[in-house]
Amino acid sequence: MNESSLMTNLAGIELANPVLLASGTAGYGLELDGLLDMSRLGGLILKSVTIEPWAGNAEPRIWETTGGMLNSIGLENIGVEALIEDVLPRISEIGVPLMASIAGDTVRAFARLASRLESTGALAAVEVNVSCPNVERGGIQFGVDPNATAAVTTSVRENCTMPVFVKLSAAASDLPGIADAASRAGASGLSLINTVPGMAIDPVSRSPRLGNVTGGLSGPAIKPIALKAVYDCFRATGLPIIGGGGIYDAGDVIEFLLAGATAVSIGTATFQDPARATKIVEELPDAVTAAGATTTAELVGRLRTPRNASKGKR
Amino acid sequence: MPSWRDHLQRLRVAEHGPALVRAVVARNERVAARVCVLDLRLEEDVPAPSAGQFFLVDCGGGREHLLRRPLSVMGYDPAPQPALIFLVEVVGWGTRRLCAMQPGEKVGLLGPLGRGFGAPAGRFSLLIAGGMGIAPLLFLSHELKSREQACDLIAGFRDSGQVFGGRQDIGSPNGVCTEDGSMGGRGKVCDGLAGRLSEFGYTSVFACGPGGMLEETARVCAAAGVPCQVSLDSRMACGLGMCRGCVKQGAGGANLCVCKDGPVFDSTQVFD
Ligand SMILES: Cc1cc2nc3c(=O)[nH]c(=O)nc-3n(C[C@H](O)[C@H](O)[C@H](O)COP(=O)(O)OP(=O)(O)OC[C@H]3O[C@@H](n4cnc5c(N)ncnc54)[C@H](O)[C@@H]3O)c2cc1C
Ligand SMILES: Cc1cc2nc3c(=O)[nH]c(=O)nc-3n(C[C@H](O)[C@H](O)[C@H](O)COP(=O)(O)O)c2cc1C
Ligand code: FES
Repeated sequence: MNESSLMTNLAGIELANPVLLASGTAGYGLELDGLLDMSRLGGLILKSVTIEPWAGNAEPRIWETTGGMLNSIGLENIGVEALIEDVLPRISEIGVPLMASIAGDTVRAFARLASRLESTGALAAVEVNVSCPNVERGGIQFGVDPNATAAVTTSVRENCTMPVFVKLSAAASDLPGIADAASRAGASGLSLINTVPGMAIDPVSRSPRLGNVTGGLSGPAIKPIALKAVYDCFRATGLPIIGGGGIYDAGDVIEFLLAGATAVSIGTATFQDPARATKIVEELPDAVTAAGATTTAELVGRLRTPRNASKGKR
Repeated sequence: MPSWRDHLQRLRVAEHGPALVRAVVARNERVAARVCVLDLRLEEDVPAPSAGQFFLVDCGGGREHLLRRPLSVMGYDPAPQPALIFLVEVVGWGTRRLCAMQPGEKVGLLGPLGRGFGAPAGRFSLLIAGGMGIAPLLFLSHELKSREQACDLIAGFRDSGQVFGGRQDIGSPNGVCTEDGSMGGRGKVCDGLAGRLSEFGYTSVFACGPGGMLEETARVCAAAGVPCQVSLDSRMACGLGMCRGCVKQGAGGANLCVCKDGPVFDSTQVFD
């Protein structure tokens, strides 16, 4: 099996392989220089940016949990102008498709960010973060409401020609409904899932473990939730999906492809090993073979559902 | 008032980026009820760490304990085979795992990380350690002495179960106290600090330990006009400045990225 078996077409973007670094866990990419060979990745999704720099939330911001971690970073970022001036020229050198992730507290902010970023010509796509659980306004509040999701998606769609991926949260009560709203509003694809809202408490001091009280859960602990989100949204919309949540090895990637993801994102696993994403790329051909396929593309959505699958029939 | 910008300029910036390397446990010695000294032999060399820098250690937690644990460098020997020495207190899963390691077992390391201690102001430094804060300060003491700069190191611990009295190749503190008096003098390590500063004429202070101890040290030093560098503790995920998980609020509400811009800061950057 050779490398061409990993070639991926993600909503028109040609990727050498389906493995992307997730937003927020790889910063602006520059920090990983020298620790992993970024040219071996399918692509890189940059830390979410807002129009102005944001300072983020109170400390402590992270807490390890069984099989994962909670974070309440609160979208601390350098702001879009610094991203364009200081980061994009340097990170573009690695030569893999770059996606910007945008966040804001108004529909207009998303629109402005999209058009400003498109004008750089350095980006392959934009990911719309309407699912951050850690900000008071403009995060998950958009992403759990079909009308707000549609409004943000439409305004981004109208303000840029790049492919638009809407990143959603599994915390939405009707996730396929939200995904459908994004699809109808012109999303080119979906990104699933953001962290799952959660919290941890110190039983002795009786205080929350995070300064922000609540946070978002990521890592292997959320993989089953993420897989079902991908599975449901793929069936509801048929849109190309960037699947992620708890991916740790190549076998996990195959699971996401089978559930319906076209590409995958590696987040928290990067903390365990900064080079984990490229290790996954190396392991992937063997995992494809083990799944009885010759290319990753032919596995997308090809879950073998038992014929007698039923939902609590009586 | 010394400007923190001047001190900032003196803080050393790591010259080379961190490396991902594997190491083999050469020796693991229990030195107190809850503390061990871990001697690691590196399979590949790393950029030479400076005092105050740390490594993120993969304790082998795989999917269950994903995050690497930050540990300060207590000693480094480039030759004949590169070796690192860490001091580890058992507080939870990862440190328990490290202290139970047998010679020959492997660990993954990421580092050296962060910005270590800057050059001292003046000729005579006082190093103040609380608990495991003694690890980077023994390294600093070793560095200062090898450059023929005078320093004293005093170390405070909670109780005898935490005390590390030093080792020949690493050095040892000039004085030890415990909060419960179970070993050395009884009390906290910064008790009587103001008197000590004026009596011995220290020109620079370096501190690493619990937050309260650092704040007290910074306050006394500020009042005495002695520049003070403190090494902060924070929960970490990436160690590379990219996740913003370790960020703490410093003086004037400014964000301090402990893993990248720290862990060592000028005390005036940290405390108002
Ligand atoms: C820059 C720096 C240098 C350090 N140097 C040393 C050293 O030389 N020797 C030593 O014994 N300890 C040191 N510590 C503290 C050490 O990192 C923690 O004791 C250790 O991470 C605890 O891990 P655990 O799995 O045993 O505990 P758990 O409580 O199971 O850990 C759960 C999570 O919380 C984090 N965590 C828990 N306590 C701390 C803490 N005090 N600081 C930061 N993260 C914490 C862990 O890293 C892990 O992510 C240092 C911390 C920092 C930030
Ligand atoms: C520390 C941290 C910061 C994150 N920041 C962002 C962000 O800025 N924007 C975003 O869309 N997702 C962010 N995420 C979510 C991840 O991109 C990813 O969707 C989530 O962590 C689930 O994947 P994982 O289990 O592989 O980490 C962040 C996650 C973590 C752990
Ligand atoms: S630990 Fe990630 S930024 Fe410091």
